Amino acid sequence: MSYRIPIGPYHPALEEPYKLDLVCEGETVRDAELKIGFNFRGIEYLAERRNYVQVIALMERVCGICSNVHTLSICQALERLAEIAPPPRALYIRVIMAELERLHSHVLWAGIAGKIMGFKTMFMTCFLLREKVMDALEIISGNRVNYAMNRVGGVNRDIADPDGVLAVVDCLEHEVTRVIIPIFTSNRTALERCVGVGVLTTEQAKVYAVVGPTARASGVPQDIRRAAPYAAYAEMEFNVPVESAGDVRARLVVRALEILESCRILRQALKKLPTGDFWGPTEEVEVPAGTAISRIEGPRGEVLYSVTSDGENDTPQRVKVRTPTYANMPSVRLMLRGARLADAPLIQASFDPCYSCTDR
Amino acid sequence: MSDIATIPGELGVSGTWVKRTGSQWLSSDSIDVRRMASLMLERDARFVTITAMELPDNGGIRLDYHWDVGGELLTFTLSLKSDEKRTPSIHDLCPAADWIEREIHEYFAVDFAGREYEPLLLRTGDVAGVNLHKEDE
Repeated sequence: MSYRIPIGPYHPALEEPYKLDLVCEGETVRDAELKIGFNFRGIEYLAERRNYVQVIALMERVCGICSNVHTLSICQALERLAEIAPPPRALYIRVIMAELERLHSHVLWAGIAGKIMGFKTMFMTCFLLREKVMDALEIISGNRVNYAMNRVGGVNRDIADPDGVLAVVDCLEHEVTRVIIPIFTSNRTALERCVGVGVLTTEQAKVYAVVGPTARASGVPQDIRRAAPYAAYAEMEFNVPVESAGDVRARLVVRALEILESCRILRQALKKLPTGDFWGPTEEVEVPAGTAISRIEGPRGEVLYSVTSDGENDTPQRVKVRTPTYANMPSVRLMLRGARLADAPLIQASFDPCYSCTDR
Repeated sequence: MSDIATIPGELGVSGTWVKRTGSQWLSSDSIDVRRMASLMLERDARFVTITAMELPDNGGIRLDYHWDVGGELLTFTLSLKSDEKRTPSIHDLCPAADWIEREIHEYFAVDFAGREYEPLLLRTGDVAGVNLHKEDE
């Protein structure tokens, strides 16, 4: 006999509001239904009623974790429409901000995963490391959540002390190598909770077109930084970690390895930071008529912005946002089928969902 | 580029790809979206999303179907008339399109023929077309 367990929209097992209705037989999850929209703010609708300066600030509020990704995406789209090329130093600073944000997001996620597994020490360790990354972001931008770094034609602030950021990178790399990777890859408790749990096969990942670390943990080697480089990524050397198992452990390993690759990218960008201006010569930007598309590899995967201008008004005609969690979330149903009920919180957390992004 | 050059012919449309502003664009109101979806899946393309936009001149809807082929973004564009905002669903061919079709139905009142809608973003009972609302109405 099957029974339904409603979880959410507000529940200790879910960090943000969404609703899972689990259909169970005994302790086994047979199916799941997802309901979203509890954070719906109508941001795309609002974007059509804000000017091009205001809309950058608005888009920064799509997400509290990957806020920089959203401003970078919309600025890139507007630069494509207006045919503006930011100076090289700005492109490098964009890479540095994007990778620090990825570190912040991945370390935060590792802490949450540790907490759900019952590893409070891991949670505290990760959040201590996350604090260091956020300190670096604050030193650069003056902010800890919405960094306000991107503008059309460049960035708003320079990086005055690259060596200070490098020290954070060294510390993080050391701690990830010394603590996080060994625990997540060899500790018996972690393995018991993660290996073979919440599997998304390569075929399923392709059919559901999942993105980011979730796709790469299922053997799909896509990464927009590599496939369609933007900012200064074409000048960076890095690997795209891919695992084939498609389980929770594979998602953990991919993100842990991506932390090391982000450190590698940061070291290159900080050491090769070009001299010169960090924004273009103009204060006011005229956006001609047309549609431009920008894609970014955010911490959770590909973010797409499509921006349309009528060339007459100072407000966009349309701003479309496709966030990575929006692409990934439908696949959680596949991950949950056949799983143990007790593993459901970890499985739904394992693809690092962001409901704020999803609902917009 | 040569690999995608045959796609317009295979779809039976007369247009050609135009590369600009972050994508390759193919615009034609005669695109058969189900044939397009089948063709892209046969080519191992990854469905990215659909962008919908109200056309200011006539109240119709423009739909942009975005696909990724090895890092290249391909966008198929078609328009729906204001009195016929209906196009075939592709969600049975491409499950990844399920949520975005539901969202576009809720935002722009587009009917994707051949499917049912369960509420996604809006609450049960809300009318479809929330993004079509004008402040002076």
